[in-house]
Amino acid sequence: MPAATNWTERSRELARLLARAGLGDRAAFATLYERTSAHLFAVILRIQKDRAQAEDILQEVYVNVWRSAQSFDAAQSQPLTWLTSIARNRAIDSLRRAQAQPQIQAAPTSGGDDEQDADVYEQVADDGDGPMELLSRAADARALARCMQDLSAAQRQSVALAFFDGLSHAEVAEQMRQPLGTVKSWVRRALLALKGCLEAAVQRDAQGSA
Amino acid sequence: MDYSRPDLADRLAAAYVAGTLRGPARRRFENLLPAHPTLRAAVRAWQDRLMPLTAGVTPVPPPPQVWQRIEARLGGATAAAAQRLPWWARLAFWRGFAALASVATVSLALLLATPGPVQPPIVVVLNATAPGGEGGVIPASFVASISGDGRAVVTKPLMNVALGQDRVLELWAAAGRNPPRSLGLISAQGATVVRRAQLPAGTDHLAVSLEPPGGSPTGAPTGPVLAVGSL
Repeated sequence: MPAATNWTERSRELARLLARAGLGDRAAFATLYERTSAHLFAVILRIQKDRAQAEDILQEVYVNVWRSAQSFDAAQSQPLTWLTSIARNRAIDSLRRAQAQPQIQAAPTSGGDDEQDADVYEQVADDGDGPMELLSRAADARALARCMQDLSAAQRQSVALAFFDGLSHAEVAEQMRQPLGTVKSWVRRALLALKGCLEAAVQRDAQGSA
Repeated sequence: MDYSRPDLADRLAAAYVAGTLRGPARRRFENLLPAHPTLRAAVRAWQDRLMPLTAGVTPVPPPPQVWQRIEARLGGATAAAAQRLPWWARLAFWRGFAALASVATVSLALLLATPGPVQPPIVVVLNATAPGGEGGVIPASFVASISGDGRAVVTKPLMNVALGQDRVLELWAAAGRNPPRSLGLISAQGATVVRRAQLPAGTDHLAVSLEPPGGSPTGAPTGPVLAVGSL
């Protein structure tokens, strides 16, 4: 499956399956599982690395989806967003404090301001399926990708580690070898910047089509 | 703390969705959600923003036993009906229609308690005739479920239907080329239970039309047909 399949496009066909599942159609539910389980399993596995536990979570997620498909409101949210949120929540809830230590990547120790570190973080993060790689692959949502580019590399890295790998602030700080407070503010400022940038993009689109 | 304060709601929602809100704080936040619409709206907005980021994750097909375990949990096709509340009994939970739905639940339960085997409902998707709003027609699609005995129809919109103040939606059933018969008015926002639905014999499609308040004055669709679905 191409990674950059359009999110909204996929969601539209899933809305029907979900609506049918909500009315008790088991075949539609099976198709929904077929089309979404590999995505949800991948999202869960990044956060909960224990495969057996990840399988249990996936099972819980779909039992839950079958039972609450009825309450899904297609006018309010996109199915893939809804499903992914449920999966992520379950995966995050499954994390114990005594989580296996995250793998430590060689990260620069020289602190300092976000922009200066940009190149080094880019290098560090650019291997295979790292969180940074995943960020760039989400290029499907063009506005999102552009907004991500506006963040400093350190901000991007901190958000990516927290979001994709389910690391807590403390774990992100440890992995990036940065003070906790610095990481907290990176994540927060990154999210705020992202929000502002996305809202501006939406407004531009609205004006463009008017 | 005042959770209806938009800036605070937004900050907590961002941390919740990004996954950095952890432990007891996360559980506290989740417990607040049902009672705080501002928080729920903020969470939804952040989910819309961030979830598409996962589009780049390489899919990992789960092993087949996961689906087998899910099926076992849900029970077989017949066991499921007994285990899980049947669809008509759950109508009570449908958003915005609590009162109407409870009445319908009781009457439907009485209605359906008598006969022996319960046939499964037929589910029909009514596709928008103008998905992109072509020709000024409002885009609207629905899903409808017809009870096994054909005496009740439940409809639910699949999208936000931008209905003007002075317009209503009417549901029709038709067999072949015969003139459609009205099944009643339906809601653009939530589920509608159409009881006493006498589906004409041989009904092979359902349609939704745009009508003046009170429904079609002529007994036949007068406005544009917004959505159609075949049985």
